[in-house]
Amino acid sequence: MEKRLIKKDALAGIAKKMAEEFLVWAPVKKEDNVLFEPLQKDGEPFFAYLNSKNAPKNVFFPHTEALMKFTRTEKGMVFSSDENKADSSVLFGVRPCDAHSFALLDKLFDQEKYQDAYYITKRQNTTVISIACVKPPYASCFCTSVDGAPVASEGADILLTDIGSDYLVELVTPKGEKLAKYFGDAKADAAADTNKNEIAAKAIEAIKSKIPAHEVKPILDKNFDNPFWNTIHGKCLACGTCTYMCPTCHCFDISDEVKGGDGVRIRSWDSCMFPMFTKETSGHNPRVSQKERWRQRTMHKFKYYVDNFNAIACVGCGRCVMSCPVNIDIRKIVEDISKL
Amino acid sequence: MQNPYIPYPVVVDKIITEVDTKDIKTFRFKFVNPEDEAKYAYIPGQFGELSIYGKGESPIGIASSPTQKGYVEFTVQKAGVVTSALHEMEEGTLMGLRGPLGNSWPLEFLEGKNIVIVGGGFAFTTLRSLINYMIFGDNRKRFGNITVIYGARNPGLLLYKDELIEWQKRSDLNINVTVDKGDATWTGREGFVPAVCKDVAPSKENAVAVICGPPVMIRFTLPVFFDLGFSKENIITSLEMRMKCGIGKCGRCNVGSKYVCKDGPVFSLAELDKLTPEY
Repeated sequence: MEKRLIKKDALAGIAKKMAEEFLVWAPVKKEDNVLFEPLQKDGEPFFAYLNSKNAPKNVFFPHTEALMKFTRTEKGMVFSSDENKADSSVLFGVRPCDAHSFALLDKLFDQEKYQDAYYITKRQNTTVISIACVKPPYASCFCTSVDGAPVASEGADILLTDIGSDYLVELVTPKGEKLAKYFGDAKADAAADTNKNEIAAKAIEAIKSKIPAHEVKPILDKNFDNPFWNTIHGKCLACGTCTYMCPTCHCFDISDEVKGGDGVRIRSWDSCMFPMFTKETSGHNPRVSQKERWRQRTMHKFKYYVDNFNAIACVGCGRCVMSCPVNIDIRKIVEDISKL
Repeated sequence: MQNPYIPYPVVVDKIITEVDTKDIKTFRFKFVNPEDEAKYAYIPGQFGELSIYGKGESPIGIASSPTQKGYVEFTVQKAGVVTSALHEMEEGTLMGLRGPLGNSWPLEFLEGKNIVIVGGGFAFTTLRSLINYMIFGDNRKRFGNITVIYGARNPGLLLYKDELIEWQKRSDLNINVTVDKGDATWTGREGFVPAVCKDVAPSKENAVAVICGPPVMIRFTLPVFFDLGFSKENIITSLEMRMKCGIGKCGRCNVGSKYVCKDGPVFSLAELDKLTPEY
């Protein structure tokens, strides 16, 4: 793997230089929040951030996206265009937990048999650059419990690690190597590697929040009917915030909109927390209360995804913990399950 | 990369009103591009997404058999937004069709066995596909005895009335049609499906029962087959769930680790026992 060194203050300049050629999604300050947004001509990326308010999954799986357009004819509405397209782009500066989420979403959207054209096209045309968390940003971070690490490259094409005066630039994938020219020609020496390894070990050490994420799988296998499931959802408002903030939640709705003679079929994020999500035309609803919905969400992340893809569908970013208006904490749920 | 969300363009070629209440119709579609018919190669038991631009999509079991060339048929009850729009359509209208989706009736497993088909009401559609497949030409030799038990609430609600008459003329089919309550012209059998199953008493020897119907029919029919000695591996059924994508992504038909749209809709009772009871 090719490795370079760049001066720390060079980062914003590199992002802006890339933005002259591609669409660059970068962290941008918006009032009190930091969000990933397309970098504008006079825009300034904000790299001194902890993590972005929202997960950057919207780059590959937008909150709302057009799937196809259709138009009215004398014989009915007919298909007019496939809206699957994506500009060549760079997602600059995501945290390793969020990069990890892309590797997890790939397992679902990019399966052998049914390939999700819209997700895959965006993913293929986007280079992911992560910035390692040399100091884990939040007390609620628990990436090390769910197969992640604060200085990990999974899901990223380029990993940047702050090693003091410089960033160590690791061009992890061939897609990352294609952007080599933006990172100067200062090759990283062995000392930089040693330095990085020490920093990585310290960062792992600094993650204090831990959950028994792997231990609960065999317990979940056997406890679908455990009375424990009656104890989580009581205060849940069914607002769906946890699923919208989650980097790995991917459930969606498909709906049609018509204006005059033209229309568009769109997909938008949906949530297993909503009663309507599974309600059938007959009125029957397989997940009849918030209890079943919470069980579904927990099972999907820590059992079903493991059954199907041998991976836990949680990256330990802690966004759901920080965002839940009634303080439902997935860490406590997993902890409690481990004691069943 | 094939985009699985884009429907094939189809034209509504023929509409048959199946029942007296007029809320169940069979729609025969022809592909606008003839080459799409080969791409839509399906197996009985699979389903398609009927796609009406501007209204949405509805997952419906395929009612025709792949042995019926030149078209594909769906029998649809008027219920929600999409199916109501479909029922308003006239022959010649253009719309979309996605699929074929899901697994299918397990044809290889069924081969060489005696087949017992049990259907109730409107859930007979993919069973009709299976019957027409099994009795087509040389296909018939690949299956043993075929017994069909099909019931509806009253004679006016029976689907595929002309085909039922044709099937009854065949010596290589044992057809038992029943209605809960007959009318003045009804000369056939009266009685609920579970009672008729008990009466017909198909042998469990080298036999598989394929059962589709409303939950209440299933609930009372299964004990009859257990009493007859059928194992859970040899009782096959098909599930329905709310669906959108049909390809195991959107999440709503998730039952345990399975997706009804892609891992089902067909499951044996033995397989259903391993699923969480959330359907």
